[in-house]
Amino acid sequence: MDSNRSADPVLAPKKPPAPVKIVIAGGFGVGKTTAVASISEIPPLRTEAVMTSAAAEIDRTGHVPSKTTTTVAMDFGCITIDDDVKLYLFGTPGQDRFGFMWHDLVVGALGALVIVDTRRLDDCYPAVDYFEKAGVPFVVAVNKFDGMLNHDLNDVRWALAVSDEVPLVTFDAREKLSVRDALLAVLRKAFSRAQTRTAAP
Amino acid sequence: MSGRADDPDVSLLRPYLMTSGRTKPVDHTIEIEAQVMTSNLGATSVQNLTFERRDIISLCRRTMSVAEVAAMLKLHIGVARVLVADLAALGYVVIRRPEAETPQDLRMIERVIRGLESLR
Ligand SMILES: Nc1nc2c(ncn2[C@@H]2O[C@H](COP(=O)(O)OP(=O)(O)OP(=O)(O)O)[C@@H](O)[C@H]2O)c(=O)[nH]1
Ligand SMILES: [Mg+2]
Repeated sequence: MDSNRSADPVLAPKKPPAPVKIVIAGGFGVGKTTAVASISEIPPLRTEAVMTSAAAEIDRTGHVPSKTTTTVAMDFGCITIDDDVKLYLFGTPGQDRFGFMWHDLVVGALGALVIVDTRRLDDCYPAVDYFEKAGVPFVVAVNKFDGMLNHDLNDVRWALAVSDEVPLVTFDAREKLSVRDALLAVLRKAFSRAQTRTAAP
Repeated sequence: MSGRADDPDVSLLRPYLMTSGRTKPVDHTIEIEAQVMTSNLGATSVQNLTFERRDIISLCRRTMSVAEVAAMLKLHIGVARVLVADLAALGYVVIRRPEAETPQDLRMIERVIRGLESLR
């Protein structure tokens, strides 16, 4: 017991970095985990997120029965931005019934990337609806599963019924730089949204 | 006895499952991306702690998020939050929570853009 004592001081006396986050949403199997893995500097970690009454308490929508508990797997990774800022990416399944977990994930997020697979477009409706209603800046990213699109992007926009203000990009979840560019689209959207807010009377 | 609910020492002793019936003894709403770093006090007190609390103190000698703590120790995220909040209330860990204004903070967004742009 005593031999395990570690009397040496903590190695890094500096203060922890400021955490910021982007949520990565979309239906099952659209490439959320792949995207996180491509760009994260740590192998994606998985946590079973249990949302209990404690989470319900802070859900401003008030839709949540106070004793609800459910478990969802969420994958996440991170990117060091600079000495004092660390970006987290949280990949979450976009199911309606997990809506109350999203508040928890989404509160304070810079924005969201909604990944879609054009073969199963309607899988992303819950995510699109949620971010629209929650006022979270988001970008729809079509994952190029076969290296080609079988839909024209305008068709996708039409099918999703998203406004022209929602940026639509294509990307490859397996490629780091492609994921980076999709995230940059989210951040540029977040920037212009914040600018509009700041300029508003 | 329930009158001592806001005493962090009391909260440290209670099992997690007892929390649902109680009013918040400590702020347990820590964000999952909040950073957790073991303090000097925590590092020197590690031998007084047991189980998960001890694991957290050892793990967070390298700063990491609450989500990472949960994943690495295979704890439910709700449990990790409660334990981290309790350890923070005792001064065993230092936490850095995200700023509420971040989504409106143009300079922060620009900074993240620059950081990502430099990824190769
Ligand atoms: N060809 C191709 N395959 C991909 C691409 N992105 C993901 N995949 C594959 O599609 C499958 C599902 O990808 P995941 O990243 O696990 O998807 P997910 O959204 O995390 O899935 P769930 O967590 O189960 O909802 C995996 O087998 C990936 O290898 C892509 O751009 N092209
Ligand atoms: Mg996944």
